[in-house]
Amino acid sequence: MKLSIYSLKKVLFSGEAELLNCKTAIGEITVLDNHETFIGVLTKGIMKVMEKPFGMTQGKEHFFEINSGFLEVREGNEVRCIVE
Amino acid sequence: MESTHNLKKRIKSVVNINKITKAMELVAATKMRRAQEIALTSRPYAFVALDLLANLSLLKKDIPLLMEKRKIKKVLFVLVSSDKGLAGSFNGAVFKKFEQHMARDKEKYKTEEKFFVAVGEKSFNYLSKNNLSVLQKFSNVGDYATKEQVEPLTDFIVKGYLRGGKKWPTSNAFGVADAGWDRVIIFSMHFKSALKQEAHVRRVLPVDFDHIKETIQELVPETGKFAELIKESFGTAQDKPKFTDYLIEPSPKIVLENLTKHLLFMQLYHLILEANAAEHSARRMAMKTASDNASELGENLNLQYNKSRQAGITNQIIEITAGAESLS
Repeated sequence: MKLSIYSLKKVLFSGEAELLNCKTAIGEITVLDNHETFIGVLTKGIMKVMEKPFGMTQGKEHFFEINSGFLEVREGNEVRCIVE
Repeated sequence: MESTHNLKKRIKSVVNINKITKAMELVAATKMRRAQEIALTSRPYAFVALDLLANLSLLKKDIPLLMEKRKIKKVLFVLVSSDKGLAGSFNGAVFKKFEQHMARDKEKYKTEEKFFVAVGEKSFNYLSKNNLSVLQKFSNVGDYATKEQVEPLTDFIVKGYLRGGKKWPTSNAFGVADAGWDRVIIFSMHFKSALKQEAHVRRVLPVDFDHIKETIQELVPETGKFAELIKESFGTAQDKPKFTDYLIEPSPKIVLENLTKHLLFMQLYHLILEANAAEHSARRMAMKTASDNASELGENLNLQYNKSRQAGITNQIIEITAGAESLS
């Protein structure tokens, strides 16, 4: 899926990702490929992103600490987050 | 003609002034660039947030409190100015706009209660001088760069607005700290380009989708280094929003309420950044003219000094020759 994470300061992540895991207002959520369209409020926690594996190499993992934010899963396998 | 001694002193002070203004010009130029860059880096974020709001407002009916239009009884005016002077017409322009606005809408505002908030020392002084009571003062805004620094201002405005929504008789009964309002109007400088700034009046509350969009689009100066950026990444905000069935957690209402608050914060953040950029570029211009003037003045004084020195020498030669002649 195409994932972009924006913060006020800069674009934290932009590219192909395999997995996105974060905390929302009512629990933890993991977004994988072709997730249903979704809008949620993010809460304080660690956001984990795993990049798409390239050939045999495992995708790189990224961690972002966030205070609040929003998550939007759009049509067409596209995910966008705005975080703080 | 002035004595060479006096002239020398004056030249020295003019040279010093020139040095100071030159230094201030450079400092202002760097600060301006920084403020502009910060504003620009948050643009993608702003677009996505706006897009999200567009999507959300399509699917739901009940309007969050911050977007709701209610009868206007109390208005809050926020004047954004600088802390320090020496910025040319920067502060004057904001105050002039404010006066014009008040004069034009005198009738309209007659029945409404007015509150004032000063951002920056200069606007506080201005409001106090005009006998308008200032609810709260925020200073040191000129160097604001992070969102934490803008938060107190946003919190203050939002809380008052939410209080205004309750059916309380008058704010006076609750004292200044509990005052509420139904509309918030901000006067601030719009950064058009490094050479041109304009005072703008903006209504920030109740939140209006178009108003926010406008602010975000105005983020990029029309000319100059960053002007090309304006063309790109506009697709998102202008896409025809098509209806998609979203799964919304925890509930559309909460999400929307959170988001509008967030967008309002962002709008204010950008307003402040923009005012910063405008302030620093105004100061830069003022300092540039000042140092130009100083160097011109210095040149003139130098010429005068040379002339008077020459006149002194001629005088001495005349005296010597006259003395020699009288001896022979």
